[in-house]
Amino acid sequence: MPHRLGPMQVLPSPVRRFADHETVDYCVVGVGSAGGVLVQRLARAGFRVVGLEAGPFWDTEKDWVSDEKGSHELYWNDLRITGGTHPLALGANNSGKGVGGGSVHWAAFAPRFHPSDFRIYSEDGVGADWPMSYWDLKPYYELLEREIPVAGPVWFPWGDPHGHPYGPHPLGGVGDVLVRGCTKLGLRSVAGGPVAILSASHGDRPHCIYRGFCLQGCKVGAKASTLITHVPDAITHGADIRAHSMAARISLRGDGRVDGVIYIDREGKEHFQRARAVIVSGYAIETPRLLLNSACPGHRHGLANSSGTLGKYLMAQAGNVVAGRFDELIRLYKAPPAHALTEEFYETDPRRGFARGFAVQTVGPLPVAFAKQMAVAMGAWGWGMRRVMMDYNHWATLGVLGEILPWEDNRVELAEEKDQHGLPVAKVTFNLHDNDKKLIEFGRNKVMEIMWAAGAKQVVQESRYAHLVGAARMGSDPSTSVVDKFGRTHDVPNLFICDGSILPTQGSANPGLTIQALAARTADYLIRQGDTIFYSSRRDQEEPGIRYDLSPPYTHFKGNPRIA
Amino acid sequence: MSRRSFPCRATGGELRDLEQPGYYPGYSTLAQKKSWEEATRKTVTERVEKTAPIRFFSQEEAALLGAVVDRVMPQDDRAEDRTIPVLSVIDERLYKNSLNGFRYEDMPPDQEAYRLAIRAIDEMAQSRFKESFTDLTVHRQELILKSLHDGKPEPDNAVWHRMPLHRFWALLMEDCATAYYSHPWAWDEIGFGGPAYPRGYMRLENGLPEPWEKDEQRYEWNEPIDSLSQLEDSH
Amino acid sequence: MTFTLTTALERSADRNLPAPLSSAVVTALEHLREGCFQRSLCLIVAATSIASGLEVGYEHYKGSYSNPVMYTPVVLSGALAAAGLSGMLSRLAARTLLRWVSVITLVDGVIGFFFHVRGIARKPGGWGLPVTNIVMGPPIFAPLLFGTSAYLGLMASYLRREEDLDRPAQHLTEWFEPQSSDWRMNLRHGRFQKHLSAVTVLWAFFSGVEALYSHYKTNFRYKAQWTPVLLTPLLMAAGVGAMKSRRIANTALPAVAALALADGAAGFCYHARGIVRRPGGIKKPLYNILYGPPVFAPLLFAACGFLGLVASLLRREKK
Repeated sequence: MPHRLGPMQVLPSPVRRFADHETVDYCVVGVGSAGGVLVQRLARAGFRVVGLEAGPFWDTEKDWVSDEKGSHELYWNDLRITGGTHPLALGANNSGKGVGGGSVHWAAFAPRFHPSDFRIYSEDGVGADWPMSYWDLKPYYELLEREIPVAGPVWFPWGDPHGHPYGPHPLGGVGDVLVRGCTKLGLRSVAGGPVAILSASHGDRPHCIYRGFCLQGCKVGAKASTLITHVPDAITHGADIRAHSMAARISLRGDGRVDGVIYIDREGKEHFQRARAVIVSGYAIETPRLLLNSACPGHRHGLANSSGTLGKYLMAQAGNVVAGRFDELIRLYKAPPAHALTEEFYETDPRRGFARGFAVQTVGPLPVAFAKQMAVAMGAWGWGMRRVMMDYNHWATLGVLGEILPWEDNRVELAEEKDQHGLPVAKVTFNLHDNDKKLIEFGRNKVMEIMWAAGAKQVVQESRYAHLVGAARMGSDPSTSVVDKFGRTHDVPNLFICDGSILPTQGSANPGLTIQALAARTADYLIRQGDTIFYSSRRDQEEPGIRYDLSPPYTHFKGNPRIA
Repeated sequence: MSRRSFPCRATGGELRDLEQPGYYPGYSTLAQKKSWEEATRKTVTERVEKTAPIRFFSQEEAALLGAVVDRVMPQDDRAEDRTIPVLSVIDERLYKNSLNGFRYEDMPPDQEAYRLAIRAIDEMAQSRFKESFTDLTVHRQELILKSLHDGKPEPDNAVWHRMPLHRFWALLMEDCATAYYSHPWAWDEIGFGGPAYPRGYMRLENGLPEPWEKDEQRYEWNEPIDSLSQLEDSH
Repeated sequence: MTFTLTTALERSADRNLPAPLSSAVVTALEHLREGCFQRSLCLIVAATSIASGLEVGYEHYKGSYSNPVMYTPVVLSGALAAAGLSGMLSRLAARTLLRWVSVITLVDGVIGFFFHVRGIARKPGGWGLPVTNIVMGPPIFAPLLFGTSAYLGLMASYLRREEDLDRPAQHLTEWFEPQSSDWRMNLRHGRFQKHLSAVTVLWAFFSGVEALYSHYKTNFRYKAQWTPVLLTPLLMAAGVGAMKSRRIANTALPAVAALALADGAAGFCYHARGIVRRPGGIKKPLYNILYGPPVFAPLLFAACGFLGLVASLLRREKK
C-alpha cells in the first residue's frame, strides 16, 4: 500500500536513509510548520538533511479519522505541567506531534503580521522591537502565500493591504453571523479567508469539501500542512525524515560548536546523529525544553542561554470564544472553522486605555469541543448540559484573537517530573498583566456586541488562550535575546532555532504563516552562507535575498493575479 | 447501576424512554456510515459496538462514579439499550493513561484526582445524609453535586483543600462531555452531521439540512422540573 | 394554410400598432424569416459574450485560475465580443473573423467540458459521489453553455445582412464560398427552424440541469426555484415537437419559450435581490456577487427562451 497524503497525493519513494555513522550537513529537530519548510529548502539546495520528528509520519488515509475523539493522537499528549495565575491549557489547544506538527490541525487562518507588529516598543513603548522589519519578511509572505497556497479576499485592507493568490471560500453560517454583525456596526470584515485552505484544486491536492474537520487533520488534503505542502518535495530531493525520533540532547564539542543530536527511537534506543549544524524547530515549549535539557559545562543554565532569556517571554494569544444563540438554525459544524475575520481593532488606539489590539475571527467547535465550552461559559452540567446541547445547531461562535505582550515571568522551565524517556518535562508558567487584562475585557465585550448586532438572542463567553510563541526570542542584543534575526543562537555559531519560539512579539494574527515565512528566510540565509556556517563563526547580518527557485512544484503560474 | 430514579416529570408529560431524544426525529448519522471512509467507519462503529470493561476503578469506585456520572450526564430519558456509555470511557482513558498533554501544577495526576474525588463525594454523602452516595435519592445526590458545581462543597471535605475543586469539576465535565458527545447517538440527538469524508457538505448557509440530514422539529422539551442541574435561565 | 406565427404577428401589428411601429415590426419579422439579420445577431453575440466573459471571469476567479487553461474562456470572450462588433460593421469580418473565433470558442467550450468532468472525478469520492460532487464540483455544463454565444456567432457568420433583404442574390460577394451546400443556403435564407429548435432543446437541457442542481444545493428554499426546473422539460418537449411539426413550431414553442424568457428575467431579479439580502449586502458587493446566487445564470435560461422564440419566427428547412 502506498503511503497516502490525501486522496490523490502519495509520499514519494524511496525515502533516503543516512547511515548511523554518517555526518549530515543539517539536523533539523522537529518537522512541523518551520521544520517542514527548512528541510524542503535545504534539501532542494543540495544539502544533506535529516529531520527528526518525535511523532509519527502520518498516512492521512489510514491514520486520520473524520472524528473529534478519534483525532486525539494528533496532539502533543505527553506530560507537561502548567501553572501561573492564568495557566494555559496545552495538548490539543496548541501543540502537534507528528510530521507536519501543529500545521496538521491548525485552523489555517493565514493573515500576515502588520508592519507595526515589528516595532511595538518604538511605537507603543511596550514589549520589544524585532531585529527586522515587516518589509524584510514581505517577499516571503508573498512567496509562502503562493506555495501553501492561501485563499482569501482580493483585497485585505488592514496592515499592509494585499490580495491573495487563491479566491475566497463561500461563507458558512458562522461567517454569515460575523459579516452581518460587523456590517451592522459599520465595521469592515473580510469573508472567505485568508486561510491556507484550497478554494480550487492545486496540483494533486483537491478543493475543500467544507466538512468542518480542519482541526482533526484534513483528510481531503485541501488544508495546507507542511506534511503535504513541503515534506513530499523534501523527500523527492533526498531529505531523510525520521519519525518517532525524540531528541533528548544536543551535543556540544569542546570548541563550543555543536556536532549532533542524541535522540531516542520508537524502541527507546538512543542514537547519535552527527551533523555539521543543528536547527531546533520544536515550537515554543519543546525548543526551550530541549535546550534546557542540553545544559552542559560552559552552558550550565541551558544551551545557548548566556542571556538567561531562554524559556522566557513566552506568549499565548487571548482566544476568548463568544457564543451566541440564534432563533434560526446555524449548523456551525459546516464549512472550515476559519473563514471570516475583522482586524478593525488590531492597532493601538489610545482611547481604549491599553496598548495593541485584537482580531475577531470565526471558530467552529464540533460537539465535544462545544460541550466543553458550554460547561465553562454557562456552567452547564446535567440536564442543563443536555438542554443547551440540543440547541447546538442554533449557536454561532466567534473568537477574540488578542495580543498578549511578552513578559519575562511567562516562561518554560524544567519540572521535577520525567517523561517516558526519562527526560525532565516542561513546566509552563503564564500570568496575565494589566494591559492584557484590559485588552481581553475590551475585546470580549466588542465581540459580544458584534454577536448581539448579528441578532443573537443569548450571548455567553469562555476565556481561553490560543497559539504559543516566544521563549527563545530573537534580537540584536545577545544579552537580552537567544538568537539573531536569522535564528542563529548568539552563543553557538552552528546552532539555530527556527520556529514560533523566536518571535519577540506576536501581534493579533495567527502565527502559522509568519513562522513558515521566517523559516523560508532562514533557509535562504543558510543556503547563501553555504559552508561557512559549518566552520566559521563570522556573523553576516545582511539579508540573503529571496530565492524563487526553491519552491515546491505547482507554486508558479497558479492562482489569481495579485493586484497588490 | 440504577438510573431510573427520577419521578420523571417533564413539561408536556413524562420523561419517556426514547430511542432518540432531541429535535431531529428519525435522523441517524450511523445510517450514513456507508459514505464514510474506512478508518473513520472503524473508529465510530467500534465506539458503538464495544464497551470497554471497567479495569481502572474498583467495583465500589465504579459504582459511585457511575452514580455521579448519571447525574452529571443524565440519560433517564433514553431507553436502556440506547444509553451512551460514559463511565467506561473515563475508566479506559485512566487505565491506558491517555493524557491530554498537560496537568495543572496544583492538580495531582488524573487517576489520583478521580480516586480522591470519589472518596470525598462518598464522605460528603455519609456526613450529610448518613448514607452512601449511591444509595441517596436523586435529589440528594444532586444537592451534593450542585454544591461541587458551585464551588462551595456542602459539607466541606479535606480533599477539596488538597485539590482545587473547580479543576476537578472541569476535568469531570470534560471527560463526561467527551464520552457522551463523541457518540453517534448523541449526534442524532443534537443534529450534528457526523463524519464527513469523502462526502462533504453542500448547504453551508442558513442552517439548511443536507439531503441526508433532517430538518429541526422543535417541541417543548424540558428537563425534569425538580432537577437541580437545569440552567439558571432556562425557565 | 396552417397557422404561422410570423403571419399572425404581422397581421396583428398591422391592425393594432401605429404606422411607423407596425412597419418596423413587419420589417424585423421579414428580416428574421429571410435570414437577413447578421448585423443584429452580431450585436447580440457581442453583448452575450461580454456577459458570459464576466461570468466565467469571476467563476474562474473563485476557482483561483489554478490551471492556466482557465484563462482561455475569459480571453476568448473578449475576442468573440470584438469579433461580434466588427462583424456588425463589416460583412467580411462577419464571414471570416467571427466565424473562426466562434469555432475556436466552441471548441474551447468542449475542452472546458472535459476539464470540468475531470474536475468532478478528481474530487474526493469522485463519480462515486455523483450528487455531492456535481453540486460542489466545477459546474459540469457551464462550459457548453458558455458556447451559446459562440454558436450564435457561428450562425451569424452564415446569415445575410439586413441590407441584403431587398437585393437579389449577391453572387459576387460570395466569392469565398463558391459551392454553397444545402445547409448553408438554408441558413442564408432563414430556413433553419428545425435546426434552431434542436439547439434550443439541447441548451434547455444544459441550463435546466444547472438550475436543477444549483437550486437543489439550496434545498429549493423558494418555490420560484422550481420554475426553471419545471419549464425545462416543457421547453424541450416543445423544441422536439417543433422539429417534427410546423404547427408546434408556430404555437407551443413560442408560448413556452416566451415563458422561459420571462422566467429567466424574473430569476435575474430574484438573484439580484438575493445578493442584496446576503450578510453584508451591497457593502460587500464583490464577495456577495461571487457567492450569492449567480446573477447571470437566469439570463442563460432566458437565452434558451430567446433561441426558441427566434426558432419559431424562422422558416423551415428546404428539403
